[in-house]
Amino acid sequence: MNVNQSGLDKFKENILSLGRSFTESYLRSGKPTSDKSRTAAIVNNFFLHVQGAKTHINTLRPTYTLGLGLISLFLLIITIVSGVLLMIYYNPSIENAYNSVKDINYVVFAGKLMRNIHKWGGEGMIITVLLHMARVFYTSSYKKGREFNWIVGIMLLILTFGINLSGYMLPWDQLSYWALLIVANIIQSPKELTDSLGITGLFDIGAFSKEIFLGGLNAGKEALTRVYLLHIMLLPLFLFIFLGVHFWRIRKDGGLTKPDIYEPKPWDSNLMSVPDKKGGIFPTNKTYGLMELAHGRTPAVDKDVENSVLSWPNLLVAELAVFVATLAGVVVYAFFIDAPLKELANPLIPENPAKAPWYFLGLQELLSYSAFMGGVGLPGIALLGLALIPYLDREQDYVGTWFSNRQGKLVALQALVVGTIVNIGLLVFTVNFGWFRSWWPKVPQLLITLINPGNIWVGFMIVWSLWVIKKTGSTRMGAIALFTMFVVSYVIFTMMGTLFRGPNWDFFWSTSQWPVH
Amino acid sequence: MSSEAQDKSGVSRRDFLNIAAFGAAIVSALGMLAGMFRMFKANVHYEESLKFKIGKPETFPSGMSRKIDDKNLFVLSDEGGIYAITAICQHLGCTVFATEWGYQCPCHGSRYDKDGNVIGGPAPRALPWYEITQGADGNLIVDASKEVAKGTKYKFS
Amino acid sequence: MQSRFYLSLMLISGLVLLMFMAFAGYRELAPEWKKYQKEYKELLVKGAKDENAKKMAKNFSVELQQLYLGDLKRVDRCTSCHIGYDNPAMANAKLPFKQHSGDYLKNHSVEKYGCTICHYGQGRAPEKDEAHAAIKATAHAAGAGAQEKQARKAAPTGEEHKVHWDFPIIPVQYIQSSCSQCHDSEFLKNKGGGKVVKGEEFFREKGCKGCHKLNSIGGDLGKALDGVGSQPIAYFPMKDVAGERNTYSWHKQHFVDPRNLVPESEMKVNVTEEEADFLATYVLSLRAEEVPKKYRRIRDIAPAAAPDGEALYKMYCIGCHTTGKESMYDEIFRRTIPSIKNPAFLKAVDDKYIKTVVTEGRAGTQMTSWKTTAAGLTEQEVDKIVSYVANDRPKDKPELFDVTKYKADTKRGEDIYKVRCALCHGKKGEGALGINLRNPVVQNADLQFLAMTARDGRANTPMPPFGKKGVGLSDQDLLDVVSYVKTLSKAKK
Repeated sequence: MNVNQSGLDKFKENILSLGRSFTESYLRSGKPTSDKSRTAAIVNNFFLHVQGAKTHINTLRPTYTLGLGLISLFLLIITIVSGVLLMIYYNPSIENAYNSVKDINYVVFAGKLMRNIHKWGGEGMIITVLLHMARVFYTSSYKKGREFNWIVGIMLLILTFGINLSGYMLPWDQLSYWALLIVANIIQSPKELTDSLGITGLFDIGAFSKEIFLGGLNAGKEALTRVYLLHIMLLPLFLFIFLGVHFWRIRKDGGLTKPDIYEPKPWDSNLMSVPDKKGGIFPTNKTYGLMELAHGRTPAVDKDVENSVLSWPNLLVAELAVFVATLAGVVVYAFFIDAPLKELANPLIPENPAKAPWYFLGLQELLSYSAFMGGVGLPGIALLGLALIPYLDREQDYVGTWFSNRQGKLVALQALVVGTIVNIGLLVFTVNFGWFRSWWPKVPQLLITLINPGNIWVGFMIVWSLWVIKKTGSTRMGAIALFTMFVVSYVIFTMMGTLFRGPNWDFFWSTSQWPVH
Repeated sequence: MSSEAQDKSGVSRRDFLNIAAFGAAIVSALGMLAGMFRMFKANVHYEESLKFKIGKPETFPSGMSRKIDDKNLFVLSDEGGIYAITAICQHLGCTVFATEWGYQCPCHGSRYDKDGNVIGGPAPRALPWYEITQGADGNLIVDASKEVAKGTKYKFS
Repeated sequence: MQSRFYLSLMLISGLVLLMFMAFAGYRELAPEWKKYQKEYKELLVKGAKDENAKKMAKNFSVELQQLYLGDLKRVDRCTSCHIGYDNPAMANAKLPFKQHSGDYLKNHSVEKYGCTICHYGQGRAPEKDEAHAAIKATAHAAGAGAQEKQARKAAPTGEEHKVHWDFPIIPVQYIQSSCSQCHDSEFLKNKGGGKVVKGEEFFREKGCKGCHKLNSIGGDLGKALDGVGSQPIAYFPMKDVAGERNTYSWHKQHFVDPRNLVPESEMKVNVTEEEADFLATYVLSLRAEEVPKKYRRIRDIAPAAAPDGEALYKMYCIGCHTTGKESMYDEIFRRTIPSIKNPAFLKAVDDKYIKTVVTEGRAGTQMTSWKTTAAGLTEQEVDKIVSYVANDRPKDKPELFDVTKYKADTKRGEDIYKVRCALCHGKKGEGALGINLRNPVVQNADLQFLAMTARDGRANTPMPPFGKKGVGLSDQDLLDVVSYVKTLSKAKK
């Protein structure tokens, strides 16, 4: 550069090199063409640096993760974007909410598609989050420092349910209104317990919570405002906080789990792109780990450095591919299947049956036995049980291996078969013979609260897992049995409530047998 | 995106896969974005239409001038025919009122002559004239979204 | 080397995504109404008579039409397809381009009133099925025969409830029900609102208010009818409705045969198909929603002369008592409805007795209490009804029965009752062919009245005179029997 350059010349040069200097300012290490710059592309990027500079090949294997966590995240992003777009036209007041949703369906450009994408993206998240939890469980990924992240994950599961449920109520149609009412009464259900203990007079926690939730004694305009607040602000806020912690912990706990002894397979090469190394300071035949300040055995500090590849581009290509696939899946589903929208909410005409959204129909089945146990007691026990799994099963073997070992597979299969039979048997008994109140109409409520098919099922799960622990001498096996039975019963109870319950919560083999109104 | 995509040294099979995959992803992302921006433009407005009926031609005999208040419009008629001039000031959108010499805006003092030409004040342009058509049922229809050249007067039977 | 798996996944899903975005884009850009408007444009061009008209037709722009009706809280997009509604050239065109029939639009400008205020349907929907919101019956479900009824019950419900809208489009035969939202019946009589006016007349004269409250006046055997015309479909049991399952069909068919739709109904109607049409039209005009005042043209007509006794009798009583001349056993009520205008009956009762029955009603029967606080009649109205009923009382006073002359023996009365009365009035007076003798009105009536009834019988009813001129019981026998009857309320059934 010429020292004698005049100030104006320098200024001119700066203008001419504007493009280049701007590029350099955000790609501080130059184009990602060398190991160093590829690493820097990850490490120096605000959005990408939550990921390691290197990624273990096991993480890239679709058969290991099934991409479920990633799909859940992408579904969340899709739902947020479509949700923001829906907010352009949605009007959260009971006078206009229904009409604005109708107009989104009828006259907004791509409005119906966007609403379907939002709806199915959100409900898809429930499925992928549950499956993700199952994947993490069956690969023992809640161990070795990841115990806390398992609990964060459970918080995220609860928030996913909550956001979906609050969104269900916004269109203010018959489905929304009666689901809102059911949920309000679930919230009120501790009253069943306080009533039968005779302490409602001291503090009516049930009625208090219901009033807080509805902003009044009935489901009306205050309730819609509150549900809207929950849906677009409060719950997402907590979701983002927990999500940040969740990702940060994955990184701090040493990335995704992997088997202790990892054997590369020839097919793995399909998952990676080994970069042609041009430029940079490193010779092409060597790889270098980054010195990272992370706990645990990360790919970078441990022996299996050979089995890891650079995150850029390997991990990013995989992530982008999963994103496009997720988006395509949601769009195709939303193209064909419309989100339901029934008649305008009418407090005088109950839907019969008034059903909660499908993901809560398992709970509604339990609720039909006892409002308190179904709405608060059993879900509480289940969530507590799930949260405690990493602390009650502290065996550190087989981390990163599906079903631990042969015995694990057998225990899971056994729990699947036994759980299915017992659970269906319990339902068949209840449907055919009823419960206490059909036999002794004057039975005290407390007895039903304490002894009902739901409680018996949970008791059976616990007893069976204890028996498995005793027989196998392994807490991990007990956990597998318990978790399998939990999944089995979630599916069976949900199917029962969705497919086989009709008007008056009576049993029907199919909806075509429902009495014609 | 990936450095491979930029590698121009001949298109091998792997480059093709690379380019095709990223190409499909980018094109669909752009399509999505375009659709999203299109969504912001409302297809319908929750307001009265800019096109409205003002009555039969015989209700506007030559020499009459009428302000249609809820539409902010002057409808006038002379030997040349019927014509419509807006009552919305072209400065900042206040409503002008008719005077002996033309139109006066009360907000910032813009003044227009009888044909809507600016004769004083800050208004940057003349009051526009609107298209008048006759509907199938004989009623005159003013379309306030279609401006016509000053002096366009319509004759109807 | 290449991450072939992920790149292939990205390529395939990217292409699928592109394809479906193209589909979705096409779906957005080619809605149903566009097709109709293009067809309409062709019609316009074809029908253009001169160059100018042709030019205008070619300038017709295809765009979504919307009537924004802020005052009515409605948004109607019907004219997106029914685009020729105001074009006289389309008078003979096919639907949806056909011009609106009649000259209704002259005084009801579409810009001010829109469409759904009269026609119902879902104005926001720019698609035919959604807009008309018609609920189609399943193919085999039409007809009302027992076999079809069975078939209909077995039919799956899924197909019928595709459109979720409470107010489907009103069939033309009932459209007059909308006129009376803004017009009074004096006006409608001569201006094409004949059906709803006729319906109102029938409603008054068939005694509908005997069982149904309207504006809080009327009996309470049936449901109150305020707002019934705009009640959503879910209020009505639809399972046996033939044809389109909407509230309009329901009302019509319910007038023709109430018990076909509601098996437990006690409603008494006897109308022809045509009359059912009128009544349905009238009932459908009883809507809850209030059209804003500036839209309404209900004139201040001089209040019609207050109804006389006969009109009141028709309004409130005729439904059950019919002419009141003959009593008969009623299959639906499962009891005998008394013949209140029967001279023999009137001979035995005085006005005060009738008035008591009308104001208090008869507990345990279908007879409502008509006092102001119950069915809502004023005392004057009750008086008018009573004097109308009492019109037919014969001039000659009946021979009185002096109860003090004899001493009653209920034991003996019971024996006579078992022989003479139990056949019709039941072993314990619970009623069968004859009326229930345990009801409070009989039990509270005085002995003289009962004894006279037993002695003289009731002309035109199965009750014969049991006195010396008839069956031949002595006055002592009669007194014994009625004294026994008065003890029945204490006896066990």
